[in-house]
Amino acid sequence: MSPRRAVPPRRKRTRRPAAGGAQAALTEPMVDRLMWRAGFGPSEADRKRFKGMGLHRAVDRLMSDPRGPAAGPPPRRRDGSPLRPHESDTDLVLAWCDEMIRTRNPLVERLVFFFHRHFATQRDEVSPPQLMTQQNALFRKYADLGSNRISDFKSLVYEVGEGPAMLRFLTGEDSRKGRLNENYGRELMELFCLGVTNAAGQPNYTEADVVEAARASTGWQINDDNPDAPTAFFTQSRWDEGPKTVLGRTGAFNHRQLVDVVTSHPSHAPFLVTKLWGEFIPSAPDAATVRDLVRIYTGNRFRLRPLVRRILTHPAMLASIKEPAMIKPPVVFAIGVMRALGLGITDDTLFNTLRDMGQVPYFPPTVAGWEGGASWLNTNTALARFSAANRLLSLKYATLPTKAPEDEPGETPKQAFARAHAAVGRPWVGRGTKSSLIYYATKARNTSSNDRIARQRVLRAFLLGGPDAQVM
Amino acid sequence: MAHDPEMDRDAVAAAAAAPDPGTAEAVRCADCARSDSLVTDLDPVDRMPIPVEAVAGFPDGVPRAKGLDRRAFLRNGVLGLASIYAASRIDWTRAYEAAVAEGASPANQLVMIYLNGGNDGLNTIVPIADYDAYTAARPNLARAQGPSVAGGRVGSTVMPGTGGAHAWANVCVSGTGNNNDTRGFDTLWGDGSGGAGSDLAVWPAADYTPANRSHFDSRDYWFAGALQKMTTGWLGRWLDLYGSTDNPLQAVSIDSTISKQIRAARAPVSAVRSLNGVEFRVDNVATSLVNTTEQMAPVAAAAVGKGNDGLARARETYARTVQVSRSLRTLVGAPVAAGYPQSDLSNRLQLAAVLLSANLGVKVITLDWGSLDTHGNQLASQDPQLTTLSRALAAFRDDLTARGIEGRVMTVVFSEFGRRVASNNTGTDHGAGGLMMAMGSSVRGGFRGEFPGLRALYQGDLRVTTDFRAVYSSVVSEWLGGDPAAVIPGGPFPLGGPLAG
Repeated sequence: MSPRRAVPPRRKRTRRPAAGGAQAALTEPMVDRLMWRAGFGPSEADRKRFKGMGLHRAVDRLMSDPRGPAAGPPPRRRDGSPLRPHESDTDLVLAWCDEMIRTRNPLVERLVFFFHRHFATQRDEVSPPQLMTQQNALFRKYADLGSNRISDFKSLVYEVGEGPAMLRFLTGEDSRKGRLNENYGRELMELFCLGVTNAAGQPNYTEADVVEAARASTGWQINDDNPDAPTAFFTQSRWDEGPKTVLGRTGAFNHRQLVDVVTSHPSHAPFLVTKLWGEFIPSAPDAATVRDLVRIYTGNRFRLRPLVRRILTHPAMLASIKEPAMIKPPVVFAIGVMRALGLGITDDTLFNTLRDMGQVPYFPPTVAGWEGGASWLNTNTALARFSAANRLLSLKYATLPTKAPEDEPGETPKQAFARAHAAVGRPWVGRGTKSSLIYYATKARNTSSNDRIARQRVLRAFLLGGPDAQVM
Repeated sequence: MAHDPEMDRDAVAAAAAAPDPGTAEAVRCADCARSDSLVTDLDPVDRMPIPVEAVAGFPDGVPRAKGLDRRAFLRNGVLGLASIYAASRIDWTRAYEAAVAEGASPANQLVMIYLNGGNDGLNTIVPIADYDAYTAARPNLARAQGPSVAGGRVGSTVMPGTGGAHAWANVCVSGTGNNNDTRGFDTLWGDGSGGAGSDLAVWPAADYTPANRSHFDSRDYWFAGALQKMTTGWLGRWLDLYGSTDNPLQAVSIDSTISKQIRAARAPVSAVRSLNGVEFRVDNVATSLVNTTEQMAPVAAAAVGKGNDGLARARETYARTVQVSRSLRTLVGAPVAAGYPQSDLSNRLQLAAVLLSANLGVKVITLDWGSLDTHGNQLASQDPQLTTLSRALAAFRDDLTARGIEGRVMTVVFSEFGRRVASNNTGTDHGAGGLMMAMGSSVRGGFRGEFPGLRALYQGDLRVTTDFRAVYSSVVSEWLGGDPAAVIPGGPFPLGGPLAG
């Protein structure tokens, strides 16, 4: 049975109006919306490919394109050396960023990034770094919906929990019968599967459940004698084999059985679908939508493909199409700039900008990942974001024969604006902002070549790093 | 300039707010500032000294059109701008005035230091009176009594005034355990009497009950000042009621993000990581040609459609950033004090001292520091952090004293929970009843909360003897000023004695 056929037939067409919605031909702003929310911004090829297509069809394409090999050659630093992700944490981060930049299917890397934030694991607590790379590859296996059409969340939890990176990060390797460590047992329920309370504010689990979950998770250790091939292994004698009572169910549970119990708790599906929805859509789903998504998710045995499809084709994806309304996470913003400028990694600039904006992949601030949403933007990060655009633009100029934007002596202010806009990938810019920038272009000194080049630099930096560039 | 039909109303108004590139010049004249008071409801100027920093920070930001003096601008221009700024609820001129008015009358200031992860209080202040129970509960982690053992256990130093019942871990007292610093928690503690030189108040088991051992819930409760998730923090609500409607520097998180403690419904707040790069800047474009920060002002002021919180947030944040840049650019290069240990915490406290003394209307500063979730390898992880914390706090106090503002600054240190009394081997799991401290000569030092002892635990944790909201309530009523009931829901929360004095 294919996942799509398994969807129960109660779907109501009335809930999915055609107007502005699923089957209407995508306009360019709609394509841009989809490629930002499910990727790292549109390329001209994306615009050409998806314009005029229905949303369902476009989403199907995104979910069916296998990840495949990344486009173009792997990055080299200016001295010709490759990235060395296991010798330098900067390179570890940049190597993943490189995947995001060169990927043929950005949705895959967006989902990898979602999993990383959901199962947040901090490199500074996890050595050797190969463990992080290994976990990242695991996420990619589950995110590549084009190759792994039956990818399901429960199996992902099995593998993450029994993976060396998580065993080290949440100190599960130290937890054994008689010497429990509650770290993983707690986060499995609080962060990965249930949340502390349900929608009605009632606690989903008790402290006793945490202890019992910790008992069930014992027995796992890591063999990293060969750091390039770390493995987790299970030792029966370290496992607490006695009966446990978790969330009202009793049995001699092991880790997988524990995950089965936890994910069958009624709060699991609403928790997970709401969180995944929030990855793509800024407004909270209403109760009916949550019910619908829960039905899709549980009705398809926790598979991710039907759920992602349902969310990405929801009319709310295209809400507020004239004025983008979702704040870009720093990684999406910065990778978007790199892709818009056609830049590859040649130095540490991208890493530094991510650090300044407050989101370095592999280094989430807490076990719960990054808070996200409106909290991304404050008086500190606004400067960091503008500065990121500025620094990445400077990298771009350095690749040009002129080492600067071209000088076009005869161009009018509006032409200057249009040239700047095209040079940075024609990003969304509000009407008031556009007028303001054209007014600037009009007033700016343009008597010398230096003046006009400065005008181009300023316009491009504002278009890529200003307030309007922060939403998608 | 030829009329541009594409130029809509917003842009015309926004353009009027932009300084004419190349012609903006400093207004450093108090007379001009005096005229401002004519069009606002501020106090008469003769009672309002103008801080030079604020004035220096303002002029580039003043919208100035040719042939329009400042007074005329204020009379004629503000109305024209009101419509666009209403969208983001920002009015530059009023913002400036507010900063000036507040800077002129420095009030009490509060620094909140949050120890991230759940600090283990029992290995910070050792319960000597229950020493046997303490060592039995955590055989691998317990501190020794008396001097540290070379190559072995860290010792502890009895806290005067506790009748020998409590001792500081030696990693945070002056002397060899503390990198030979002459300062530490012991020097702040003094004789523990609450008199002169006893400037550290301690609540050994502050929390809420029943304690929920989740980092995230506990943190959210501490930040909200309430046992529920709220969209505002307790200090944010205080700012909404008693703070400025215009000055984002009234509450500063010295962090890359804004602390949930100062999130407000209306009051503007800010995050400042350092004074490096407080301006919007474009490479290879001279500021004399284009002042990028000022150019950002009209761009950020564009109106936003209804219901679009994301874009509204983006534009408002950029506008606030312009405002902050105008103030902070004057502080770039301001001298920082020596005597701090080498650490990120020190760098941020040094900046805190600069901001607190700068007459910018700063009332609250928050800092989120540390990595204290010590499930494993606790000694190797917590001990150096305690050393850094104690030395940096002592240095901060000296810094404030040298700036002549120590008496108006209270510093509160807290964490989201204490840790389990029994160790799990090399670490401790999440518990309850954490260590909370307040520092300053304005603070009544000593043990201000009861130590519940190790013999009657609640689910393996210390019994909570101080509701953290009681400390907050006293901070509001005795220090910041205001009605605690309006800030902290669910009260009253009596502290059982004065916080200050």
